[in-house]
Amino acid sequence: MNSIFANPEKSIAAKLIIATGLLIVVFSFLFWYATLKKQEQDIMSIAVKYGDSFVNFAKESTHNSMLSLDKTQTQRILENLSTPEGVQRVKIFDHKGNVEFSSDQEEVGNEVDINSMSCRGCHTDPVTGTLSPSPKKWSKYKDKKGSTSLKIVSQIYNDVSCSSASCHVHPEEQKILGFVETDLSLALLDEALFKQGLALTAYVIIFVIAVSLFLGIINYKIVTNPVHKLSDGMKQVAGGDLDHPVQIDSIDEIGVLASTFNSMIKDLKAAAGQKARWTQTLEEEVAKKTEEIKRTQTGLIQTEKLASLGRMAAGVAHEINNPLTGVVTFAHLMRQRCKPGSDDAEDLDVIIEQAERCAKIIKNLLTFARATPSEKGKIHINNVITKTMTLVKNQEKFHNVKFHMDLADANLVTDGDGTQFQQICLNMFLNAADAMNLRGDITVKTHQVEEKDKPFVETIFTDTGSGIKEEDLPKLFEPFFTTKPVDKGTGLGLSITHGIVKHLGGSIRVKSTLGQGTSFFVRLPLIKQEI
Amino acid sequence: MKKVLVIDDEPIVRLSSKRTLAPEGYDVTLADSGREGIEILERETFDVILLDLKMPDMSGIDVLKVIMEKWPGTKVIIVTGYSTVDTAVESLRLGAYNHIEKPFTPNSLLAAVKEVFDKKD
Repeated sequence: MNSIFANPEKSIAAKLIIATGLLIVVFSFLFWYATLKKQEQDIMSIAVKYGDSFVNFAKESTHNSMLSLDKTQTQRILENLSTPEGVQRVKIFDHKGNVEFSSDQEEVGNEVDINSMSCRGCHTDPVTGTLSPSPKKWSKYKDKKGSTSLKIVSQIYNDVSCSSASCHVHPEEQKILGFVETDLSLALLDEALFKQGLALTAYVIIFVIAVSLFLGIINYKIVTNPVHKLSDGMKQVAGGDLDHPVQIDSIDEIGVLASTFNSMIKDLKAAAGQKARWTQTLEEEVAKKTEEIKRTQTGLIQTEKLASLGRMAAGVAHEINNPLTGVVTFAHLMRQRCKPGSDDAEDLDVIIEQAERCAKIIKNLLTFARATPSEKGKIHINNVITKTMTLVKNQEKFHNVKFHMDLADANLVTDGDGTQFQQICLNMFLNAADAMNLRGDITVKTHQVEEKDKPFVETIFTDTGSGIKEEDLPKLFEPFFTTKPVDKGTGLGLSITHGIVKHLGGSIRVKSTLGQGTSFFVRLPLIKQEI
Repeated sequence: MKKVLVIDDEPIVRLSSKRTLAPEGYDVTLADSGREGIEILERETFDVILLDLKMPDMSGIDVLKVIMEKWPGTKVIIVTGYSTVDTAVESLRLGAYNHIEKPFTPNSLLAAVKEVFDKKD
């Protein structure tokens, strides 16, 4: 509660409390002032009324003694009249201002001050006798002790009894014979008025405090507290906490604001969740793409590596062919001169054989590296596989190999040179036969697959051979990599296959389990399929 | 005398050819470049020309074109390490008689040369 008054310009509640408080104080003060004035007026009018009665009583009391011109009696009556508490003085003076009688004997014979209220109450000019249009017969003043006193002046009219009295003091045409004037103390009334004023002030102060407190509490309950809750809630939301809705149950404007705020938090939370999911998806997508790019890059590097290796190999191979021609020719020439069956002849046979092996290696290398464009045409995948299978099946190497064909019903077609795909099949079959030690099953399966929304024809060559060691898999397509005995393989078959597949715009991958066999997956772009 | 001209920038190939063919009764002339081969051809006539395809200054294909233009009907056997179908097809299209691969054995060379004369006869 204190906090709202520390910086009132920052608090609605403080402003409301101060504004209403000020209003209450102002109105309470006006009420207090008006009430006090009214009381005073009422009391004064009562006092004047009683004062009038008293003056009339004094007139009546002295009437007889006046008629009988008994001055002593009149004087005594006045003295007696002034004895009760509150009556300060009673005096009678004539219209010229001469004090005839007074309860205060010292005054008798004096003249009334011409400027005093005693004369000026009715006369604007007492010397000429001009009458005031609004004569005032009483006045209030402070006496020497500081108490309020009431002075009442009343005319003594020339009654018939007066003008016709035996003394004949007053002629009949004289209207006013004199005046009775009394001074009454209002000290008691002052005291009562003061006490009442005090009580009223106390009531008003208590009222102001009570109303202000009540307003303050109501304000705190209805405005400050909910606004603080809302503000705390907003701070939490700004800090990222979306799990704590604002607890305000009222149905007023702040309640509506709170429920709107809560539904906003809910929406924000949903949006944040959605954002998090999007971020997650995006991250996954980025990771996937990164992996893809990495793979493609690795593939590109591999392809480029193979290509430059191929160019180098071709250059070397071509140069080697020339000296090899010399070796072969001269070995043959020497062999012709040797006696058949001699040691020299046998040694030369070894030279010739090894030179021819060199020639074979070089031929393979050149096949692998040749960059000449192949004939463009259509490859009917299933046909080529069947043709190649028929071709090799009768060879000695494949006598103990069983072929299983699981070919797609549709005639799958790709762009390229049929002999190139035939070479792929041939390499696959030869490798499979070697891997199975010339005994086992070769399964060829063709089907259509989708890769990045593009159709491909995939040919899977599966053997039941010894499988490939995991550490050998990455080197599988490198030229000169072989697991076969030195005189059996050149290590070019798979790199030639790889080169052809790449040339045809496809891809090749391998899956192998040691002791169970190996599968090669050759994917080539599908141009069309004919059913 | 059956006259054979060998055009090859590689000395060992020229020597191998000479040593294979000479004992069989062929008169072998050697040229170490296409330019020299053409100069020799300006002076003499040969029954068979063994022509290498890959040579530094003038390629075998260019030499073949000149020979076919100037002396049509000359029997040219292309000897090449590039045993690709394409080069073989091109040289045959340009008028080469036959084509053998390096490294050749004495027998394959003799057989190819002999075939020319067998057909002639």
